[in-house]
Amino acid sequence: MSNEITLYVNDSPLSFLGKTVMDLLHQLDKPSQGIAVAIDQTVVPKSVWATTMLESDMNVFIFESIAGG
Amino acid sequence: MSSLMIAGHEFSSRLFTGTGKYASADAMMASINASGSELVTLSLRRMDLKHQSDNILQPLQQHGIKLLPNTSGARTAKEAVFAAQLAREALETNWVKLEIHPDPRYLMPDAIETLAAAEELVKQGFVVMPYVHADPVLCKRLEEVGCQCVMPLGSPIGSNMGLASKPFLDIIIEQSQVPVIVDAGIGAPSDAALALEMGADAVLVNTAMAVAQNPAQMSLAFKMAVEAGRLAYESGLGEKRQQAQASSPFTDFVGSLS
Repeated sequence: MSNEITLYVNDSPLSFLGKTVMDLLHQLDKPSQGIAVAIDQTVVPKSVWATTMLESDMNVFIFESIAGG
Repeated sequence: MSSLMIAGHEFSSRLFTGTGKYASADAMMASINASGSELVTLSLRRMDLKHQSDNILQPLQQHGIKLLPNTSGARTAKEAVFAAQLAREALETNWVKLEIHPDPRYLMPDAIETLAAAEELVKQGFVVMPYVHADPVLCKRLEEVGCQCVMPLGSPIGSNMGLASKPFLDIIIEQSQVPVIVDAGIGAPSDAALALEMGADAVLVNTAMAVAQNPAQMSLAFKMAVEAGRLAYESGLGEKRQQAQASSPFTDFVGSLS
């Protein structure tokens, strides 16, 4: 059986089936270009997305670039 | 016309612009192309997980335009440093337009938080471009902590009031050892031309282009104004005088008829 855990992604609860930050982005079907990920207030560099493990109740924040002056 | 160097990067256009307030991504690109701008600002926000947003990144990158993420939305130095770190990851650039304005009504930049954030970001290896009030003392302090340019305001963001801060911009331009980029409030091409004539190194214009009835044509007008202003500055403007000074020689015209 899969180990389903609950994460808080941008403050909303989310059932997560994978293990790493990269798995989460795949599950959400988000592009990896132009986005940044943080756990609590710490930025997770792209180079370690595939090796950074996510655990139950973690606060994950995903940011994207948008238009602005 | 001379080019502009910031942190070892050469710009042939002295008109920087933003990506905000356009009706569509196509309108934005048409406008940026018409402006000739080589540096455009972007913001960073928490992603909306339920909806796909417009991809404005791809067309900008395809046109080889350098991206300048801003820290808009940050209310403190700590938040701004975090925003800059996120932007560095998202857009793969260590350039950042540092803006901290806690009050949404007037969007006045917080000088104290901005100086603290600038110092920290420089230490972390960022090329820091701080948006500040037209405060000559603050601009000097930002230069001293290692900012690669300063971006004093002409008037409040989006107000189209032009160079309300002109006497203070003159002092900043006269004192600064780093490029001075007049940002915010530039409402018409004549405002941009005036800033360049005064010796500002560049201007950043967003609202005036984006909300024009014809954004691409307005952007072209700004391009021409910035070039005219810079050419005039480099050519050496004449001094202002109280009294008239004839452009034609005073010859004895009437007398010569007799």
